[in-house]
Amino acid sequence: MFQHRILNIAFYSISLVAIVALLWWLMRDPTSKFTESLPGLDKRGVADTVSENVDIGKIFETNNLIYKEMTESWSRFRGNDYDNISKSQVKLKEKFGPKGPDIRWSIPLGEGHSGAAIYKGLVYVLDYNEKEKADLLRCISLSDGKELWKRGYHVTIKRNHGMSRTIPVITEKYIVTMGPRCHVMCLDRLTGNFRWGLDVAREYSSEIPFWYTGQCPLIDNDVAVIATGGKKALIIGISCETGKKLWETPNPEGWKMSHSSIMPFNFGSRKMYVYSAIGGLAGIAADGPDVGKVLWKTAAWNHSVVAPSPVCMPDGKIFITAGYGAGAMLLQLKGNGSNFTINVLQQYLPRFGLACEQQTPVYWEGHLFAILPKDAGSLRNQFVCVDPSDCKKIVWSSGQSTRFGLGPYFIADNKFFILDDEGTLTIAKPSVAKYIQLDRVKVIKDGADAWAPMAIANGYLVLRDSKTMICINMNI
Amino acid sequence: MENNPKNSRREFIRKGSRISLLLTLGAVGGFSARNITHEKYVWQIDPFKCTQCGRCATSCVMTPSAVKCLHAYDLCGYCDLCGGYLKPDPNKLSTAAENQLCPTSAIQRKYIEEPYFEYVINEDLCIGCAKCVKGCTSFGNGSLHLQIIHRICLNCNECSIARLCPSDAISRVRASKPYLVKGSFTNDAKG
Repeated sequence: MFQHRILNIAFYSISLVAIVALLWWLMRDPTSKFTESLPGLDKRGVADTVSENVDIGKIFETNNLIYKEMTESWSRFRGNDYDNISKSQVKLKEKFGPKGPDIRWSIPLGEGHSGAAIYKGLVYVLDYNEKEKADLLRCISLSDGKELWKRGYHVTIKRNHGMSRTIPVITEKYIVTMGPRCHVMCLDRLTGNFRWGLDVAREYSSEIPFWYTGQCPLIDNDVAVIATGGKKALIIGISCETGKKLWETPNPEGWKMSHSSIMPFNFGSRKMYVYSAIGGLAGIAADGPDVGKVLWKTAAWNHSVVAPSPVCMPDGKIFITAGYGAGAMLLQLKGNGSNFTINVLQQYLPRFGLACEQQTPVYWEGHLFAILPKDAGSLRNQFVCVDPSDCKKIVWSSGQSTRFGLGPYFIADNKFFILDDEGTLTIAKPSVAKYIQLDRVKVIKDGADAWAPMAIANGYLVLRDSKTMICINMNI
Repeated sequence: MENNPKNSRREFIRKGSRISLLLTLGAVGGFSARNITHEKYVWQIDPFKCTQCGRCATSCVMTPSAVKCLHAYDLCGYCDLCGGYLKPDPNKLSTAAENQLCPTSAIQRKYIEEPYFEYVINEDLCIGCAKCVKGCTSFGNGSLHLQIIHRICLNCNECSIARLCPSDAISRVRASKPYLVKGSFTNDAKG
């Protein structure tokens, strides 16, 4: 009897303990000591990008108007034909030899990545002068590096991986620049006389891209074509002569401005502007009565930072890429007139095929050439070639011992010129079969962040790192 | 002089004791001096060789790992879009968990002024997985990097992560300079 009672007590006690333990376990919140990661913990402030009144074109200084006029030009971002290939017949060195590069001049610049445009013996670069707090378009003699004049405006730019970013566009008559905070300035080419200015961020409620805009403006038939993004428009066309807005492309989706530049493209009996915005990719009618109309668009390509510009190929393929893990996309455009369709052929992460972070690939002999980004696995920072029929299949790479960085590359006199981050210039023979290196020489002492696109005219190669611009005589 | 065997034995013991004491003192002094002057070595990661493979988080005998992320502030760009803090191609540049790269939220993001943000490592939460280091190295200035923290490290004779490191980034360094910190504050680093 006693034994039975003991057993009962033990049974009920254990049951009670078990129930209490179960209740405690059920009621206990194992995440009670966790700290939630919610938006806004960084206490982000509101960016003020429009309150500063900028008097565009106010500053003008002239030093000297004597220079040696030349015949050739590299008039805009990616050269005269938007393909980063010089068509000049001037023969260039393929090796520097024991004397090294023939550096004609070297000038200090404000920290940044703005590249040069060259027009008939004059170099134009949009510099930021930190001391004066001003965007300044500097006009420099190509032959000796002496400054002829500078025109600009006071604007506050904080150092953010450099300050300047863009390349001016030059025609016989006009120059159009776009500053880091999206101030557009139009001048007379030769004299630097101010024509008109436009504060894009203020007028179009545009959001200035991270690290300031890298968009290089375009002049097409004396019309400045600017991607604004924002609530009011996607792209606008402005008369260079008068500064009057001629057309604008509506932007109902509110796509934002990217670092990418507008690329003209002739396809399906239409001339169009192809633009890779933050939000999507679009083709805009570039002529005719429907100029400014969206001919096609796709939101399949949507990444938070896009720097390279679209590469448009004759068969309607469009290759677009971006950094920061985005990878690349190959699209096929079909149609003509005003009926176009766009389809995605390939989309992949950077470790699975051709991709770039900052520079735009070069299309040559039916192949694409580019430097892969750092997150491209074992091929990181290598110069590679792909056939656009399959951008995931690398035809050749420069090899483990020949890596580059975020620097530019282009073709002139059937030679690739490739600049790495530290200012080492590589000359390679373009080939769709293999990588053929001709020479590799350090051209900027203590170079750093040499990311600006290069320019060449009359055999004079103009390039820069973050603080210095140099001119190398490449003539044989 | 009378030869006293008792005094002689006592004298012998006394002298023997003195000599033994002197020898002991000499040995202790010698060992102490050796310990003071002899250079010791500790394990450390060369951040320029590290390939951010992630093995430091799982192969260290300590749990969590003695390997932690350090931040070289003088190299940092203080970017809004930080490749070390945010997942690649993030939806938004916010502190929401779904946008953070760190699996333990060990990086605190603080707004300084437009357009700068500061990133601070919470060492207690860091597990040394190197995800942030990979992001920072791929897309930024490489200011985030891994180091073995010596107040946590047991300094094993055979370091288990050094044995597995695919890039031979871990080696013994002099204990007098126990850190290989990037940036200009190398000498100020304390374990």
